[in-house]
Amino acid sequence: MHYETNKKIHMLLQLNNIFKWVQSGGQRVFLLKDINLSVEEGEFISIMGPSGSGKSTLLNVIGMLDGFNEGEYNFMDEPVHTLKEKHRANLYKQYIGFVFQAYHLIDELTVKENLEMPLLYNKTSSSERKALVADSLDRFNIVGKKDLFPSQLSGGQQQLVGIARALITSPKLILADEPTGNLNSKQGEEIMELFKQLNNDGVTIIQVTHSEKNAAYGSRIINLLDGRRI
Amino acid sequence: MFKNYLKIAWRNLRKNKGYSIINIGGLALGMAVALIIGFWMYDELTRDSYFKNKDKIAQVYQSQAFNGRIDTGPAIPLPLEPALRDGYADNFKHIMMASWTQDSYIKYKENSISRPGNYMQPVAPELLNLEILKGEKDGLREINSIMISKSTADALFGKEDPIGKILKISNQYDLNVTAVYQDIPFNNTFNSTDYIIPWDNYVANREWIKNSLDHWDNNSFQMFVQLAENADMESVSETIRNVKKDLNEDTAEFNPQLFLLPMEDWYLRNNFEDGKQVGGRIKYVWLFGIIGAFVLLLACINFMNLSTARSEKRAKEVGVRKSIGSQKGQLIYQFLSESFLVVLFAFVVAIAIVLLSLDGFNELASKEITFPWGIGMFWLISVGFIIFTALLAGSYPALYLSSFKPVDVLKGTFKTGKYASLPRKILVVIQFTVSVAFIIGTVIVMQQINYAKNRPIGYDRNGLIQIPTWSADFQGKTDIMREQFIKSGAVTAMATSSSPTTRVWSNRSGFTWEGKPDGFQEDFAWTEVSPEYASTLNLKVVQGRDFSRDMASDSLGILINRTAVKYMGLENPVGTVIRDSDKENLTPSMKILGVVEDIISQSPYEPVKQAWYVYDRNNNFSYYNLRLNPGQSAKQNLAIVERVFKENFPAIPFEYDFVDDEYAAKFAAEQRIGTLSGIFTALAILISCLGLFGLTSFVAEQRTKEIGVRKVLGATIFNVWNMLSKDFLKLITISCFIAIPIAYYVMNGWLQEYPYRVILKWWIFALAVFGAMGVTVLTVSFQAIKAAKANPVKSLRTE
Ligand SMILES: Nc1ncnc2c1ncn2[C@@H]1O[C@H](COP(=O)(O)OP(=O)(O)OP(=O)(O)O)[C@@H](O)[C@H]1O
Ligand SMILES: [Mg+2]
Repeated sequence: MHYETNKKIHMLLQLNNIFKWVQSGGQRVFLLKDINLSVEEGEFISIMGPSGSGKSTLLNVIGMLDGFNEGEYNFMDEPVHTLKEKHRANLYKQYIGFVFQAYHLIDELTVKENLEMPLLYNKTSSSERKALVADSLDRFNIVGKKDLFPSQLSGGQQQLVGIARALITSPKLILADEPTGNLNSKQGEEIMELFKQLNNDGVTIIQVTHSEKNAAYGSRIINLLDGRRI
Repeated sequence: MFKNYLKIAWRNLRKNKGYSIINIGGLALGMAVALIIGFWMYDELTRDSYFKNKDKIAQVYQSQAFNGRIDTGPAIPLPLEPALRDGYADNFKHIMMASWTQDSYIKYKENSISRPGNYMQPVAPELLNLEILKGEKDGLREINSIMISKSTADALFGKEDPIGKILKISNQYDLNVTAVYQDIPFNNTFNSTDYIIPWDNYVANREWIKNSLDHWDNNSFQMFVQLAENADMESVSETIRNVKKDLNEDTAEFNPQLFLLPMEDWYLRNNFEDGKQVGGRIKYVWLFGIIGAFVLLLACINFMNLSTARSEKRAKEVGVRKSIGSQKGQLIYQFLSESFLVVLFAFVVAIAIVLLSLDGFNELASKEITFPWGIGMFWLISVGFIIFTALLAGSYPALYLSSFKPVDVLKGTFKTGKYASLPRKILVVIQFTVSVAFIIGTVIVMQQINYAKNRPIGYDRNGLIQIPTWSADFQGKTDIMREQFIKSGAVTAMATSSSPTTRVWSNRSGFTWEGKPDGFQEDFAWTEVSPEYASTLNLKVVQGRDFSRDMASDSLGILINRTAVKYMGLENPVGTVIRDSDKENLTPSMKILGVVEDIISQSPYEPVKQAWYVYDRNNNFSYYNLRLNPGQSAKQNLAIVERVFKENFPAIPFEYDFVDDEYAAKFAAEQRIGTLSGIFTALAILISCLGLFGLTSFVAEQRTKEIGVRKVLGATIFNVWNMLSKDFLKLITISCFIAIPIAYYVMNGWLQEYPYRVILKWWIFALAVFGAMGVTVLTVSFQAIKAAKANPVKSLRTE
């Protein structure tokens, strides 16, 4: 009994019998089939599988950017499948940070302004915003770049900013879809080291990767094939 | 957060300069048009606001039926005044008789000027709430007094004090200046009333008016009233309806109906059909209101289209923001604030455009509109206007952009084409429907004006001038003047007339002739002329003969026009004797000498009225009509005419009008509408083309890679051009199909108002279609050819 309670506190999210499909020519094409997954706080999970196997789809479902057709999804004891969009947005803006393969920084904003943006949506006060942005610039060693626009940075630097932006609201969970896909191997290694370090600090990480080497940084590997866990 | 939005918006504007210029420029143009039209409408709708008691003031109107046709107008007979004062005094605070506004020579010492003014009863300064600058407000008590406007006082007296000075009017009567009043501002009735002379003076000095004091059938005067405090316009109007009919049996057959036309309707709703009020100028106020709204809509459509076309570029931002935690509402708010910024910019530019073009517009529209800098209400409305426009232009892009799903967008497979293109196409169709309809409308207005202008007018108006002769000095000098003018070589013929050639000032009834049907209620345009009238005007006598000075009996002769022959039902008009119906012994009977061509002296859009040209036995003339010598330049002729005039009338200013100018003035209102709608149409097309230009450049940009591939595979420049232009031409074709029936319906309705009107021809519509197509092809081709000529290797390498 005591053990059960303890475990529940550490449970971050839980997917039960998740199905996702699209209608195509009168037929259901399944993107995700009967996915069950429990993630505890502090885990570092790698999702692997061949191209088209549904890795990104799964990540987007976890990140609440995408919906699903059947099944249950609980995030921090909140039943995501029943929440209104507004509530859902509040949830992920508070607890989830995204890192994308293509960085997805906003081109019209400087490094500093990109970092500041999640805080604006978070309604963080102005003074606190300044402090957090300064901290973050410091921590990722990009103070000198703070007034540059994304187009003026290298790929690795852009991804660094992307990660810094994902982390600035101190999320519990980082979702990264092939974060090193556009980087050379040295830059990739640096990013992975960074993830390792973040994980050590207690951040839960789920990453999609094609590389065994990167997957090895994680504590657990989930394999997908045709939308199904194997 | 708002600052962050504005920052992004600003950087986007700067980064895409071409887009921004098209967007802001187009919107600014649209707003400038809307602003100017708004000012114009406000000016029209607030006419007569100078008068404090505007809502209590009215003019008495009368409808009468002649042969089943009901004529309505402000002319009333004199006995109505005592009738209303005796029996209906409770309803009115003031009743004021007035003459028509007329020009008179006013002379002080050797200084003589010609100014318009009225004879009015002493309550005038109170009723018109004149602002008395000098002298006494109650200045019309004495019969020989005169009140003058400040501008008149300045012109006559300069620095001298006018009060108590003696003026000579029409070189006949001495009047004592009792007051100087502030000129009534432009955009108000009585704005041109530069002097006011007591009504009693008008009556006392004119036999015909004295004789009319008990004549209910002489409808030649105006009556203005101010209602009593508690009286209601409509019920008073109803109360006086049958006053004339009840008091006078003789005129009862015409079923005279009296009513009040409130001051607020004087200018905007003074048209009557069959005795019913049918609007008037107000129609144009709303028409231009609609045009303004449409032009603004076109500009907003540009904004919507260009914003959504650029959505591919903004899609990523939307995806990222959503994945970071932005809600749809926040994104809508962001895009609306961007739209707000653009609109604000555009508004500033629009104000600059308005300031630069206001003078020109005033000239075209004959207005005195000033920019309302100091008026709080204007700014308040402007803020509302900006917000409204920002919402109108920004709502669709905001809703559209904010609804992107982040997964779709971030996956990188996102293409806007399918989603966005249908609404965008609809908007382009709307734009071009409006533009094509505007083109058709403008062409038809212009055509109608030209058609009426080219209508045969029955006489030769070129080289014909008229000189007003409203002073006693001219009496008895007609023959001498004719002799001198002709001898001078500048003039080949001269005739006098009681009204200008381009107008009818007098209508008469009460005659009988052989064969006149029983109960026929006749009504003729009446002009008294000297015997040389027809020959001076080159007015053709088509039957019988012209007046002749050699025949003494011609002084009892008349000429009638073709329409009058038909109207009177005469088989053989020449020789027909016309008698006065009731006072046979007072007016001698007259004989028809000849029939002349119809001449257009009233509206060029109406059929010509039956007219009589009566030998002027009583020196009842108001104009000299001079035919200038065609062998010399007009300038030479005029210099000589002026010299001869001045030799004979040194105290009277030399004034003249070219008859063709006077005739052209009849088209002024339609011409103004034609010119203005032409300008607005051009702007509408320009705005639509700006949008199209922007759209094509985006489409070309989007398809750069495709174009590159196609070219590598062998496509020619023409193929590429065709590919890019075809879509747009299809849309324009749809627009034409929608616009043509609408334009036909509306313009056909407009034309119905003109009995003399152009027939709508198919080529007008074809012209509009080809015009729109041509402009589209030009606009689209510019971008298409640029894209087609681009080096394919370059465009492919960027991928
Ligand atoms: N909206 C959709 N409609 C139809 N099929 C879709 C849709 N979205 C994704 N798919 C399909 O779902 C499958 C999984 O896609 P997903 O992007 O998750 O693959 P992935 O494992 O991330 O592949 P990759 O390693 O190439 O990124 C693919 O076969 C894809 O074609
Ligand atoms: Mg993927």
